[in-house]
Amino acid sequence: MKNSLLIALRELRARVWSRSFLAMSFIGPLAVLVFTYLIFAFGDEGEQKWNVLIADPTNYMQGKIMPGKDNSITYSFASNSIDHEVFREGSQYKDFDALIEINEKVLENKVSHVFFREAPSTRLRTKVQYQVERRMEEVFADEKFGISVQRYRKIKKPLLMSFVDVYDPYGESNSDNAWVGFFMGGIIILFIGLFGMTILRSVAREKSNRIVEVMMGTCSPRQLMTGKILGVGMSAMLQFLIWTVIIGFGLYWMRETLFVDILDPRNANFDAMAEQMQNQSYAAKQFSSVEYNRFVDLVYNKINFGLMLSYFIGFFIGGYLFYAAFFASLGASMGTESDGQQFVLPLVFILLIALYAGYYTMNYPGSSLVAWLQYLPFTSPVVAMVKLAQGYGEDGYQIYISMTLLYASAVAMLFIAARIYKNGILQFGHRLRLVHLLKWLRKT
Amino acid sequence: MNETLLEVRNIRKSFFRKEALNNVSLNVKKGEVFGLLGPNGAGKTTLIRVINRIIEPDEGSVRFDGHLMEANDLKRIGYLPEERGLFKDMTVENHAMFLGKLRGLETKDIRNKMQFWFDTFNMNDWRKKRIEQLSKGMAQKVQFMCAVLHEPDLLILDEPFSGFDPVNVELIKKQLIQMRADGKTIILSTHNMKNVEEICDRAALIHEAKKIAEGTISELQGEQKTGLYAVRFRGNMLTFVNALWTGFEIYDKTEHGDNRFTVRVTMRNESSFEDLLKVLIGHVTIESAWEVMPTMQDVFINLVQPVSHEE
Repeated sequence: MKNSLLIALRELRARVWSRSFLAMSFIGPLAVLVFTYLIFAFGDEGEQKWNVLIADPTNYMQGKIMPGKDNSITYSFASNSIDHEVFREGSQYKDFDALIEINEKVLENKVSHVFFREAPSTRLRTKVQYQVERRMEEVFADEKFGISVQRYRKIKKPLLMSFVDVYDPYGESNSDNAWVGFFMGGIIILFIGLFGMTILRSVAREKSNRIVEVMMGTCSPRQLMTGKILGVGMSAMLQFLIWTVIIGFGLYWMRETLFVDILDPRNANFDAMAEQMQNQSYAAKQFSSVEYNRFVDLVYNKINFGLMLSYFIGFFIGGYLFYAAFFASLGASMGTESDGQQFVLPLVFILLIALYAGYYTMNYPGSSLVAWLQYLPFTSPVVAMVKLAQGYGEDGYQIYISMTLLYASAVAMLFIAARIYKNGILQFGHRLRLVHLLKWLRKT
Repeated sequence: MNETLLEVRNIRKSFFRKEALNNVSLNVKKGEVFGLLGPNGAGKTTLIRVINRIIEPDEGSVRFDGHLMEANDLKRIGYLPEERGLFKDMTVENHAMFLGKLRGLETKDIRNKMQFWFDTFNMNDWRKKRIEQLSKGMAQKVQFMCAVLHEPDLLILDEPFSGFDPVNVELIKKQLIQMRADGKTIILSTHNMKNVEEICDRAALIHEAKKIAEGTISELQGEQKTGLYAVRFRGNMLTFVNALWTGFEIYDKTEHGDNRFTVRVTMRNESSFEDLLKVLIGHVTIESAWEVMPTMQDVFINLVQPVSHEE
C-alpha cells in the first residue's frame, strides 16, 4: 500500500503541475459560471406568449378576466368541461397553450389545475395566477358573499394554482431538478472520460518508455495499477474541489450582486418598495418580486446542494474506479502507444450510452428500463443522480442498492483489470486483439 | 566468498506456447560478478525478470540468500533493465528520490547517497534539470544511479554499457569493480565479450531457452581451447621452421619487422609446450611464449553457432 501511495502521490504531483490540469481547473468552472449567468440573465429573454383556454362550464367567470397591460396572455372561454386528455389530443385545442378548469371543486378547495403544453416561465405563472385569482375574487365577493372585493381580500383563502404538464399529468418526467441531476451525472461522465483517457495514455506511455519495468523491480503490477488509478483519481477529486469552490463562490457572488434575493427580508429596500407601490400597480409589484427566471429559482431555491454533492462524490468515486479499471487494463495491453484505438471507441460509446441513460431517465423515470439502468454499474452514476434529483420518494433504498452494486462492481473490475494489467504490461510490439485480453485474463 | 547468494532452480517459462526458458538452473555466489551471456532472444531478459519477480515462472524456484525469494528481498536487489525509461517530466533529484523511496530508503539517506553519485558522475549542475533536458549519456548515468542508490546486495544489469562513450564505460566499470570489492554481487547481461573478460568472475551462456555452459571465465575458455601455442621470437624464420621438425605444425605467423615474428603452432604426436621450447632454444631468441586461449568472443561463437538456426 505504501508503494501504491508513493506512486499515487508522484502521479498527483505530475498531473497538478501540468498546464492542462491548471487550465481545466480554472477555465472549466469559469465556463460553467458564464453559462449559468447567461441562462440567469437571458433565459427568459424571449417573453413567452400564452393562449389560455378557461373551461368554465358553470360560467362563474362570465367570460371575463382582468388581463394586465402586456398582451403576453390571451384568454378564451369554453362553456363545457374539458378533460386534459381531450385537450391534449383534440385538434380544436391545438392552438391553446394551456387549459384552466374552473368548477365547483375549485371554489370549494381553492385549488385549480393549469394544464400546459410547454412549461411557462415563473413570470408567466405569476401573471396567470394573479389574473385568474383577481377575477375569482370578484366572483366570490360579489356573487357568493355579497361583500366588497376589498373586504373579501382580507378574509380570503388564497387560490392555489397547480401547474401540470398536459403530456405528463402525473409529474413523472423532466422536471427542472432532474436537469440538475443530469448535469451532475454528465459531469461525472465527463470527468471519467477525461481522467480515464489520462490513465490510458499515461500507462501506455510508461509502458512504451519502459520505466514500468524499473518500477516493477520494486512493486507488483497491482500496486502500480492501484497507484496510477489513485493518483489520477486524486487529481480528479482535487480538480472537482476547485470547480466546486469556484462555482460555489461564483454563485454566491452572483446572488449577492447580480441576482439578489428580493424576497429575503434582509435584502428588502423598503423605501424603494414604498415608492414602487405608489408608482406601480399591485400586479407590477407582484411580478417584480419574481423578476428572475426559473433557473435562478432552481439554482438558489430548489437544489439541495449538500445532499446532491455528497451523493455526487459517492457515485463519482464509484464510477471512476469502475471505469478507470477498464482504461488502465487497456493501456497496459496496448502493443504500442497508438495501438488499442479500436477498444477505446467502445468505451467512449459506453460512456455516451450512460449519458443517454440519464436523459432517458429524465423523460421516463418510472419505466422498467430505468429500474434496471439505475443498478447497472455502467449507467448508474448518471441514472441515480437524475433519480435522486427527481426524488426517490418512498423508494429511497434504491439509491443505496445502486451505490452498493456500483462499488462491488468496481472492486470486481479492479481485480479483473489487475490480471490483464499484470500479464499485458510487459508485452510489446503486438497489435492488440480481443484474444490477447482473453488470454491475459485467463492467465494467473 | 563462495557462499551462494542466488540459486535459480529448474526454471521453465513459456509465452503463448513459445518456450522462453527450459529448465534453467544456475548459482551466483556472493561477491562475484556473474556474466549472463547469450544471443538475442535466448531468454536472458526473461530469466532476469523471473529473478526480479516481475514475471512468475511456470515451474522452478529462485532462492535468495538461503531462502525462497520473497517480495521483501527486492529491496536488496538493484535492477537496470536493458530498455530502461525515466519519467521525463521529473527532475533528476525528484526522480532519484521517488525510486529511492520505492526501494524503502528514508529521505535523508537518499540525499546523502545521491550526493555521492552526483560527485562521482560529476552531475551536480544537473540535479535540478528535468530528465527531458538531459543528453542520452547523462540520462543513463541517472538510470545507473537510481539502480544502485539503495546499495543493493545484488545488482542486476542488463546491457549497462550500451549508449555510453568509452570514457563513461570505463567510469561504470570502475564502479562495478569497486562494488565487487565492497562485497556486492553483480549479474551482468551483455553482448560485449571484452567487458565479460575484464570484469566477470564467472558466466553462464543461455541459448534457445537452455543453459549450455556455466563456469569461471578461464574454465569456459579452457573448454574451448584448440591446442594452439604462440611463440614470439627474434631470428631467422627458416631456422625456426627447421627447428620445429616433425613434432609441431605452424598454424599461422605474424611478421613484426626487424626479424621479429609471432608464430602460432599446433602440437603433433605427444609433443608438449615444454618440448616446443626445448627445440627452439639455441636456434632463435624467444621473447615470449604462451598457450593461446580462446577469447570470450570465440567461446560465445563456438558455443552458439553449432546449434544456431539464425541465418
